[in-house]
Amino acid sequence: MRLPDERDFSTRLRDPAITSRVGLWLGISFATCFLTGLVSHWAQSPDPWLAFPTRPVWGYRLTQGLHVVSGTMAVPLLLVKLWTVYPKLFARPPRRVRELALHGAERVSIAVLISAAIFQLATGLANSAQWYPWAFRFVPTHYAVAWIAIGALAIHVAVKLPIVRASLGRAGRAATVAETTTLEDGLSRRGLLRTTWLAAGVAALATAGSTVPLLRHVSVFGVRSGDGPGGIPINKSAKAADVVAAATNPAYRLSIGYGDRELTLSRDDLAAMRQTTEDLPIACVEGWSASGAWTGVRVRELLDLVDAPRGSDVTVTSLQPKGPYRVISLPADFADDPLTLLALGLEGEPLSIDHGYPCRLIAPNRPGVLQTKWVARLEAT
Amino acid sequence: MTRVALIGTGLLAAAYGGWLLLDLGWDNLVATANWLVAGVILHDAVLAPVTILATVVLARLLPSAWRAPVTVGAIVLGSLTLLAIPVLGRYGAKADNPTLLDRNYTGGWLAVAALTCAGVAVAALANARRRRNDGQDPGR
Repeated sequence: MRLPDERDFSTRLRDPAITSRVGLWLGISFATCFLTGLVSHWAQSPDPWLAFPTRPVWGYRLTQGLHVVSGTMAVPLLLVKLWTVYPKLFARPPRRVRELALHGAERVSIAVLISAAIFQLATGLANSAQWYPWAFRFVPTHYAVAWIAIGALAIHVAVKLPIVRASLGRAGRAATVAETTTLEDGLSRRGLLRTTWLAAGVAALATAGSTVPLLRHVSVFGVRSGDGPGGIPINKSAKAADVVAAATNPAYRLSIGYGDRELTLSRDDLAAMRQTTEDLPIACVEGWSASGAWTGVRVRELLDLVDAPRGSDVTVTSLQPKGPYRVISLPADFADDPLTLLALGLEGEPLSIDHGYPCRLIAPNRPGVLQTKWVARLEAT
Repeated sequence: MTRVALIGTGLLAAAYGGWLLLDLGWDNLVATANWLVAGVILHDAVLAPVTILATVVLARLLPSAWRAPVTVGAIVLGSLTLLAIPVLGRYGAKADNPTLLDRNYTGGWLAVAALTCAGVAVAALANARRRRNDGQDPGR
């Protein structure tokens, strides 16, 4: 038996006109994932070179929903794209040294691109379902491979630009349009394109309900139905964070500090202060989100109690004994924002323990992991 | 000029990613490399050949009126099934968090599969009928 050759494959549907069109949308979806990923990286940076904005309130929700939806839609796009170019895997290398070197370089760049693309989609989808069957650290690795993928994609686009231009131009359109009838063989070129768009659309509808409430009943593969205490799902339970005892202890006190000023408040003290209710979304890096009406005390009003001036950054510490988000930084524009609350209740009910009882941070346009639950201390600096 | 600039930017971005990856330590790098390589092998040596083999077999077995609808159905259902593996397996489910993976995913998959099959059948029968009316050979 011999290895198959590039010419062994049928070529009717494997045409640059198809590859370029699917590739264009695949490129758009990867660019969307990359940019929205950068937004999340920026939002989570403890010390960004440019302050992350507090508006729009739903900004993080939108960008991270887009991140996961466009990554999910990229799965059928990538599969069809790879199918149309699969015969190239069996192309015989050229004999002349210079051409061979170019051929080899292109092969390496494509191998890097394909492996990085598959890696990003597979690890991203698994992460959205909180499945971690690997030994590497997900967040920094997904971030590093994103740079490799987008770099290899830019190189690939540059190499193929003449083909892409030709096939997306007039002649390419003619090549696709010319062949619209269903041949005896099966799908037409236009049929394959439409099927690809259909598959991408169905993939979005089947999963986006985790972040688009309207789609909740359609999204049979959504990682969350949207149910939960107060109509909001839970990312990490109190049990998993090992805070049940500390959070329900009647001796619980919130401590607030600024310089040598110190103050402790019980939950009853907090409840006796002026209460504010705000509609704010909680949006997770994993792509799910939900909006709720949170009631509690403005963080700014708490900082006023220790005379912390406006413009002070705040360090928020949770009761949880460990974890990368036990201590987080709340930049000054978030701390001073009238929408930023230390919430005691959700949807008119006391906060459930899994949502952060006795009190949690909730701020606009902020990653869910930085909306600290079971808050123990606020320290202004 | 555009192409040179794109290649230059691409090389820089990829190099930065590579540097970030190296910076995460040797064990992390090995674990990542395993997954990077496994993904390509799973696609190029398993998924793609199986798809092509299935196409060849189906093209021989199916009456011509059924070929296009079955292809459409297979692309939609196949890619959807692949991307739903993490939820279908419920690998990330946690006993202490009932709000995560809280749907009947198998039931959802069966519903999608049933809808797809129904759509394929309707399209194929309409195809066959049209061909008969046009006086064409409806195929085997």
